[in-house]
Amino acid sequence: MDVPVTDKIPHTQQAISVLWPSFLIAIVATGVFFSAFNPRDLIPFNLDIDISPLAAYSIGFFLFWVVAAISSYGTLYFIISNSRFLNKQNR
Amino acid sequence: MSASQANTSENTLYAAHKKIYPREVSGRFTRLRMLSVIVLLGIYYLTPLLRWDGRQALLFDLPARKFYIFGLTLWPQDFIYLAALLILAGLSLFFFTALVGRVWCGYACPQTVWTEAYLWMERKIEGKRTSRMKLDKAPTSAAKIRTKTLKHTVWIAFSLWTGFTFVGYFTPIDQLAAKLFSASLGPWETFWILFYSFATYGNAGFMREQVCMYMCPYARFQSAMFDSDTLIVAYHPERGDPRGSRRRGTDPKSVGLGDCIDCNVCVQVCPTGIDIRDGLQYECIACSACIDACDEIMDKMSYPRGLIRYTTENAAQGRKQHILRPRVMVYATILLVLCGILLTNLFLRVPLELDVIRDRNTLYRETREGLIENVYTLKILNMDSKPHQYTLTADGIDGMKLVTDEPEIVVPAGAVQELIVRLQADEFNMESRSVAVKFYLQANQANHLNTVEEARFVGPGKP
Repeated sequence: MDVPVTDKIPHTQQAISVLWPSFLIAIVATGVFFSAFNPRDLIPFNLDIDISPLAAYSIGFFLFWVVAAISSYGTLYFIISNSRFLNKQNR
Repeated sequence: MSASQANTSENTLYAAHKKIYPREVSGRFTRLRMLSVIVLLGIYYLTPLLRWDGRQALLFDLPARKFYIFGLTLWPQDFIYLAALLILAGLSLFFFTALVGRVWCGYACPQTVWTEAYLWMERKIEGKRTSRMKLDKAPTSAAKIRTKTLKHTVWIAFSLWTGFTFVGYFTPIDQLAAKLFSASLGPWETFWILFYSFATYGNAGFMREQVCMYMCPYARFQSAMFDSDTLIVAYHPERGDPRGSRRRGTDPKSVGLGDCIDCNVCVQVCPTGIDIRDGLQYECIACSACIDACDEIMDKMSYPRGLIRYTTENAAQGRKQHILRPRVMVYATILLVLCGILLTNLFLRVPLELDVIRDRNTLYRETREGLIENVYTLKILNMDSKPHQYTLTADGIDGMKLVTDEPEIVVPAGAVQELIVRLQADEFNMESRSVAVKFYLQANQANHLNTVEEARFVGPGKP
């Protein structure tokens, strides 16, 4: 069986395949999350944080992006390591 | 795919890609595309400048958590409408793809629209295809640096305007402009303007067709909506082949050739750098530049137009065409039904909301008159664009009384008002320990503004 040599994918393409889908998901997640929760209500009572809504939304967006990117990276990592493993078996 | 194939194809991936210099083209479809580009860019840059009722007509006011869409004000509670709108947009894309193929890609996609705009600027500054290629190959010189600097300056200026407009959809654009000119933009506003500008500059200036080929999800799944009756851009191999050059005015049959003179103009005009004569390809964004280019050549050769043309697989094979087919009708039906539901809901939407929260500290108390009393906190949300006075009533138990300290309930436009009310009822009229009661809120002088909210009334219960 032929296995695609996924670990030969150029680094740019690897980076984009991690960052791009997670970027799209982060937009959706930010929209859904902040339409349900007002960032002002998320600050615990005992903390006195003065944060502008735009800053809260932006930070939320980047957090979602990071989380989704970690997941995307996991997928990429498993695909690459599995293809290496299968290629070794086939040899 | 074998390992060796993967290795050779790797060189053509976007890490090491060949720069495409689309040749300038003119013709009916090019004019149509240019018209589409101008109209869409016009909508994008001018919409935030429109006014409505003394405010920006289209504003997604994130800090205030309100979306203004002309006469309509949407609250976070109305998120469902935006979600429905997105689903409708997705379904329309399915419908139009099944019917007319990738017209979205060729005429309306922001990636295409801005790439066309950036290409236009590039052509104005660097010249035609051949001079652009010559300039890129030429050794560094003062003239080359001047031209390149000019191009990038114009591109960056246009990108910044694009980024500024983008943020202007989320922050009132007049305030944003005032802040910009007094150099007092907030850090996040600055960040998003630069972020969006950078994305525009990169996507329209450099990535171009690679976005369609490697990053666009639609390009990957659009073939699922295609069938043999979908409109595609195709070369007519039976008419064109065998290809070959010949003198102008030669009858192709006399030299044993087809109509294609193999001039390669269709390849040179292609923004994704493919040869349409190789058949339908996933890189093809159906921009129809090759149709216009080939038609021009056919005119010059005095051959009939349409060697490359809009057609369907069925038409190209000489089979019967079906415009109305199950796929199209299913997409259309779903689209119409959803559209109807959305419009009905929007039309029937009552810009008034009532939340009832029972006092959590005491279940009930007994008044001096021996009645059972429950306390509630009411939150009245007036989502209308006018202030209103309301009348509050309640029922559920015979002889129940509603008591409040407020003489009248007035809520300003777009505001939330809290109200403490007490319900008093005779224990003997209660059927069980906990009875459902209803609060009715009605705006005075506005019959359609009314809402009902249910709550529980708790008593000691029958012994």
